[in-house]
Amino acid sequence: MDTITTKLSSEEIFNLMKQFITEVIGEEFVEEMDITPESSFTKDLEMDSIEIVSFSEKIKAHFGEQIDFTGWLSSMDLDQLINLNLGMIISYIEECQS
Amino acid sequence: MPIITVNGKSVHIQELNKEATETIVLVHGMFSNLSVYYFNIAPLLATKYHVVLYDLKSHGMSEKALEGYDLESMTNDLFALMEVLNLQKVHLGGYSFGGLIALKMAIRFPERINKLAIIEAPDPNDDKTRGIIDEYSREFLEHYVENFTDTTKVKMGKRQMERNHRMYEYLFYQTSIKTDMELEKDFFGSPAIETIKQSTLLLYGTDSNCLNAGKHLDGMIKNASLIAVRGDHNIPIQQPLVIAEALLNFFQEI
Repeated sequence: MDTITTKLSSEEIFNLMKQFITEVIGEEFVEEMDITPESSFTKDLEMDSIEIVSFSEKIKAHFGEQIDFTGWLSSMDLDQLINLNLGMIISYIEECQS
Repeated sequence: MPIITVNGKSVHIQELNKEATETIVLVHGMFSNLSVYYFNIAPLLATKYHVVLYDLKSHGMSEKALEGYDLESMTNDLFALMEVLNLQKVHLGGYSFGGLIALKMAIRFPERINKLAIIEAPDPNDDKTRGIIDEYSREFLEHYVENFTDTTKVKMGKRQMERNHRMYEYLFYQTSIKTDMELEKDFFGSPAIETIKQSTLLLYGTDSNCLNAGKHLDGMIKNASLIAVRGDHNIPIQQPLVIAEALLNFFQEI
């Protein structure tokens, strides 16, 4: 597990999220997208639930005990999960680092 | 991504709270994957239990397989998974087709199953259940997704639709799933169901086409109790916290 402990800036977190998304859905699809912090997982990135599981696992593997990503997701209802965007995750990770 | 080898095939699993003493294994439904539990249901159960989720063959991120979709084979897979993970006795939950797998496990390996939770398991002899398999087409998928989105609010994008279409086409036209399911049509009429002794929770949607199947099981399984939850066949997606709490209460009851 490549757990890190250094504090990342929001831009670094954003780039890391983009890297994870690319690994999950493939470069050919990412090239056609304009990924921004406002991009929502289901509507804009068209990620399905098992891809979001893969994405979550990557976050957990990277940040380890630092954040309880699954616990955070489990507090959301369906509407919140559908509307989840990258900016919300970046804010959550920043909060956990502070 | 945790991938283990079971019966020579790669199986995607997720485990939560490995330190807990008792284990719950959850089985997803046909054309679905472990994510149906991953976000809401499993984390709540994992506050007290070791929770194991896995993707069935050809589903989610598990390896594809051309054959072995009958309940005997599917329970062989689950039994082998338990052996690999060294799980001697577990609580078992299953949703939809996964509920049929869970029932079959309780019949075949009663000594390995503690409590049993069945969510929306359909009667395999029901016309609507078999109709889905007989009449698959691209139009069916689009129609299905349209109805599915009405009740779960999740809209599929073009790439997701293509992915799902490829999975459905593979399962319907290349694997033995149709003939294997045909063989199971008398499962609910089988006296074997009446041999289930485990304490059994039946969770069904008040507006589900499968509610009668739940009532049927309630009549056949001696230690069963049926709870109707507001919603249709998609209750784990529509009411994840209600389902999770019902499961947690049930597994914790002495």
